[in-house]
Amino acid sequence: MDVLLTEEEMMVRTSARQFLERECPTTLVREMEEDSKGYPPALWQKAAELGWQGMSLPERYGGQELPLVFLGLVLQEAGRAVAPLPLHSTVTAALTIAQHAEEKLCEAILPGVAQGKTVLTYAVTELDGRTFADTVQTQAVAEGNQFVINGTKLFVDNFVAADHMLVACRTAPGSRGNSGLSLFLVDTKSPGISHTPLVTLARDKQSEVLFRNVRVAKGNLIGTLNEGAPIIESMLERGAVLLCAQMVGAARKDAEMAIEYAKYREAFGQPIGAFQSLQHMCADQIIWIDGGELLTFEALWLMDQGLPASVEVSQAKAFCNEKCEIAVRHSQSIHGGIGFMMEFDLHLWFRRVSAWSMKLGTTYEHRARIAHALIDLPGRVVLGRPVPVVAEA
Amino acid sequence: MNFGFSPEQEALRKEVLAFIKENLTPGVIAEVEGEEQEVSAGEESAGRKGLARRGPHLSELYRRIGARGWLGITYPKEYGGQGGDRISQYIVEEEFARVGIRVGLVGSGAPAILAAGTEEQKRDFIPRLISGEYSFALGFTEPHAGADLANLRCRAVRDGDEYVINGQKIYTTAAHVATHIYLMARTNTEVPKHDGISIFIFPMDTAGITVRPLVTIQNNPKAPVGTTYGAARTNEVFFDNVRVPKSALLGGENKGWRVGSTGLNLDRVGASRYLISVRRDEDIVNWLKENRHEGNSLGDDPAIRDKIAEMWIEAQVCRLMTMRSMSIVERGGNFTYEGSAEKVWAPEHGTRITEAITQMLGPYGQLMNGSPRTIEKGIFGHNVLGSFQSGINHGSVQIMRDQVARRGLGLPSQRKAQGARK
Repeated sequence: MDVLLTEEEMMVRTSARQFLERECPTTLVREMEEDSKGYPPALWQKAAELGWQGMSLPERYGGQELPLVFLGLVLQEAGRAVAPLPLHSTVTAALTIAQHAEEKLCEAILPGVAQGKTVLTYAVTELDGRTFADTVQTQAVAEGNQFVINGTKLFVDNFVAADHMLVACRTAPGSRGNSGLSLFLVDTKSPGISHTPLVTLARDKQSEVLFRNVRVAKGNLIGTLNEGAPIIESMLERGAVLLCAQMVGAARKDAEMAIEYAKYREAFGQPIGAFQSLQHMCADQIIWIDGGELLTFEALWLMDQGLPASVEVSQAKAFCNEKCEIAVRHSQSIHGGIGFMMEFDLHLWFRRVSAWSMKLGTTYEHRARIAHALIDLPGRVVLGRPVPVVAEA
Repeated sequence: MNFGFSPEQEALRKEVLAFIKENLTPGVIAEVEGEEQEVSAGEESAGRKGLARRGPHLSELYRRIGARGWLGITYPKEYGGQGGDRISQYIVEEEFARVGIRVGLVGSGAPAILAAGTEEQKRDFIPRLISGEYSFALGFTEPHAGADLANLRCRAVRDGDEYVINGQKIYTTAAHVATHIYLMARTNTEVPKHDGISIFIFPMDTAGITVRPLVTIQNNPKAPVGTTYGAARTNEVFFDNVRVPKSALLGGENKGWRVGSTGLNLDRVGASRYLISVRRDEDIVNWLKENRHEGNSLGDDPAIRDKIAEMWIEAQVCRLMTMRSMSIVERGGNFTYEGSAEKVWAPEHGTRITEAITQMLGPYGQLMNGSPRTIEKGIFGHNVLGSFQSGINHGSVQIMRDQVARRGLGLPSQRKAQGARK
């Protein structure tokens, strides 16, 4: 038990931070908000040279095979810099491919990811808006050596930048809930795919994607037909906790800006940061962000050990959604009028943290999962021991 | 980062749990509950030696715990400890605290003695604190010095080889059972207030000490075992020309402020603070599970389920902050703000879960110990009165937020208004 960073972890964090401080000024962040693809390929390439995209991918595909905790540290820094990179969607999909796809598919896709040539995303959520796969309606029907996909996906991250996406479909006709689902790798340029960009709070690139008779080879199925739910679930969970890392990174930087501002902005003859009302807001910001960070890295660490982490992921996301949001709102309050101005950078963090709190599972969705594990499954709960309860051997 | 316990530590936990199962006899439980009944009717008493405070079953239990090497794990072997690690000590503290047995030295003054005591003091006090032969009452707070502790007035005046102490302390928990008092007193009135304070340790049966009991709100009627501060009777202590030898001084005259701060951060946090903040979370979840029936039970209510999950997450943050504090200490580091942050989050969570439970149980939540129809002996009702106390003692949550802001974040102190007194 030592929840502090090791020297190696500290080094990864520091080098990522220094790299982004050098390469990713807020001018670039603003520029990419107006860019059609939303990311600078040169920076994406440099990130690949640092090994970010392949950080937790197997070595045989050009990855570094490092624990998810390291990837979490990098995403935390990406969040801190609000870096306009399609890193989160790419690694979320890539890790799922590495874990569940057949060798041939892995060989076709993953080396390109590790080299910074390929951008990936995932498409699960539909008109219903909820995150988890039981709401999926999009159909994939077998036809010869292919599947034919019809349906609509919403909030598809970085669709405009992505080369491939993982698409959750209903493959058993008439199935409901978590049964009869499958996951496919789909080329974003396939005939029959069209998209409409969404105008978002974070000014990021999300799309509504329409599938009209889109054909994919049978070999693009990830895992077993009709049994995709656990794969989709684990992809969403890993995506959710990695997004938490990004959120706490962004929220911490945002809070630090407010704390620095409070040290030199004067009112009533002294720095506003000398007033206890403000000091207590700042203290709360740090307490919340620390809490979110601890929950996030515990979940990642458990995944690295191959231990169940569903409840821990939901703990992290439900907590970060609320607490990171209040923390960045506090920063806005502390800045007063200036924080409300487009020309001032603070909103770059505020808008993103707010938007991230709404995707990959709301507070209520995640709490419902936790409540189920706590209340509906047998055994007396004890804090610090696994939930769902594991029977004593 | 490592969020797991080592195989040795896991084995230790199993060993402790097995020990507890075997040794927590009805006799022991009766004595634990008896300790909690120690609310007397308000009679004043002279200070007394608390040597007889443990009944025969508890004494035997502590002897056995000691024989396993589970007392004073982190303390050096030469002073009766085991020279072990902080995480192992935490595991032992947590499992015993869960059944109402205190094995740690939190709140004992031992860290300060180890850091600032003379060799003689270390050899006298630490082994006996570890074995339980000695226990200290902490004489800090006064009627006019709570959060602003350095404002204390209790006076110690040097007279030859002795000091003569006059003054009053308040909220001196355990003064009626402790063998010694660990007292902060003013030894110099001519210097800035932090620079004129000294610490003394002396027996409670020294002539001139009077202890007057104070009964706390959550313990009337008697709180069930496990209530936050349910066991805590507290006291006022009066010192009337109390003469102590100069060897009672800890860490040098007028050095008391710094000496007293040593180890205080670790007094605020750790297993017992964590557990009093989160036990009700476990209680309510398990109660909801065990009271599930066909149809419409509380555990099916979506609003209650959402609140339960929200509180459970908060409790996990309590645990993780405790683990962070332990990690810092185990690495030999010092807190900048982490202990203070934990001392904000955990007590406030303890209050939030307590109040959330009242809104789950409704009118059952008001039933106190001894009433018909209580749930869990009325612990939830008693806790409404007791849980917030954790946010007040050992540095209130407001003071803790000040410390996070100033020490952790570097925010400045407020300028004094013109003409204000220092």
